[in-house]
Amino acid sequence: MAGNSNEKRPLLAYGSIALAVVLFAIGSYIGLFVAPPEHFMGEVQRIMYVHVPTAWVALVTLLWAFVSALGFLFLRKWKWDSRMEASIEVGVLLSFLLCMQGSIWAKPTWGVWWDWDPRLTTTAVMLFAFIGILALRRFVEDPVRRATWSAVATIVAFADVPIVYFSVKWWNSLHQVQSTPQTVDSPMITPLRINAFAMLFLMMGLVGLRTRLAARRLENELAPPLPERETETRAIAAGGEA
Amino acid sequence: MRQLLAATHKDLLLSWRSRAQASAVMVFGATTLLLFSFAVGPNAAALRQNAGGFLWVALLLSSTLSLAESYRAEIEQRALEGLVLLPASPRSLFYGKAIANWLQLLLVGIGLVPVMVVLYDPGTENLLALVGVLAMGTAALSAPGTLYAAMASQARAQQVLLPLLLFPLVVPVLLAAVKASSLLLLGDPMEQAGSWVMLLAAFNGIFWPLCGLLFGQVVEE
Amino acid sequence: MTGGIIIGGWEYVIAAYAITFTVLGGYTATLLARTRKSKRGQDQEPSR
Repeated sequence: MAGNSNEKRPLLAYGSIALAVVLFAIGSYIGLFVAPPEHFMGEVQRIMYVHVPTAWVALVTLLWAFVSALGFLFLRKWKWDSRMEASIEVGVLLSFLLCMQGSIWAKPTWGVWWDWDPRLTTTAVMLFAFIGILALRRFVEDPVRRATWSAVATIVAFADVPIVYFSVKWWNSLHQVQSTPQTVDSPMITPLRINAFAMLFLMMGLVGLRTRLAARRLENELAPPLPERETETRAIAAGGEA
Repeated sequence: MRQLLAATHKDLLLSWRSRAQASAVMVFGATTLLLFSFAVGPNAAALRQNAGGFLWVALLLSSTLSLAESYRAEIEQRALEGLVLLPASPRSLFYGKAIANWLQLLLVGIGLVPVMVVLYDPGTENLLALVGVLAMGTAALSAPGTLYAAMASQARAQQVLLPLLLFPLVVPVLLAAVKASSLLLLGDPMEQAGSWVMLLAAFNGIFWPLCGLLFGQVVEE
Repeated sequence: MTGGIIIGGWEYVIAAYAITFTVLGGYTATLLARTRKSKRGQDQEPSR
């Protein structure tokens, strides 16, 4: 999933994204026009055909972020920091979408924009946690510190996920008995599966591209001055003296 | 163990020396409680119902001030590098500071209880048990707070970075502490407070070791 | 959860799909553009 050598084009990533677009087209078409409406939820059920894939892939993405954080702290190779940066960013994006889809689903279903469903609320909390980690990266300039600190923060955030989930679930259960049927007895599993694969391929392509960009920026930050530049500088200095 | 005691002693001494700051934090907390009253309005029932919530939000906001303050000496005198050079393990450094922060925060919390009682009138039942909840909750805030404050104090935009990182993380602490406090103050017909306290204990049980383990990564180069 | 058959609601479905694909598409386009730009920059620099 990390970048190929810098000279080659990221064909794997491009291909992955292209495949994702095709699959999304097919899956969404089936989900929107072919699949029958569900018994109780009616047409609104169709939101699940993007919502559930987003949920699964967001989880995978943030898991990859966690693995990358461990990878960097234990193996001390820069590629793990690049992978972590990429997967946190994409993970934040997906989590944001998840919250939005959940909200749009909740309004016609429960009449409120937010129903405090434990899974969705945990996602919202983790969204803020990972945005904080992105901010941390932005505010630390030294690459070694940036990598180490954000890896530490990622691990701590991840350790928090189950605790947040259980505390919200319990807190919520004392008030409401509503639940989001995220495990879907959907009229058709097919559009769900197709979109799930589509989302997965898209995520892999995006994380791949973003990892390369992160790695490239690191190269610029860590690289010694190029020999050609030194020659230029000497030429300028010589010209100045003449 | 000796290292730990020495580190704790050092940080407590620093706290004592800056006790003017600590009292200012308490006043900040009390002001926040007052602001909540104005925000909600003179609705005695609403204030009473949410007294626990207001107390803990005020405490959480105050913690950003006192946690950041706990690293000021290190940053201003560039003492952080000096500390690491000593033959003391980063772990003892962390626990020393975290314990000092915890005690400081607990003091602020205890100081805010009378303010809360006066402003929101939640009754004075179970105040001793409430102090217990305060102890567990402030401990839960202190462990990750000390870790994150170490990072934030050395980064740009440090004042916003600490709450940005800490607040999402301690959502479970807030939930559990508020629930437990409210039940203790307002009545607990189904004896649920204990379970919330256990959640706090679990949070402490996970994050005190974890943050101590990771602290070394944050201060060593 | 019994009862409550929801009638209609296409606006919500369209909103959800539209926002999802717009955001994903926008981010993808941004990454592709940045990748192309950085590749061009890399090509102009002499290789190490």
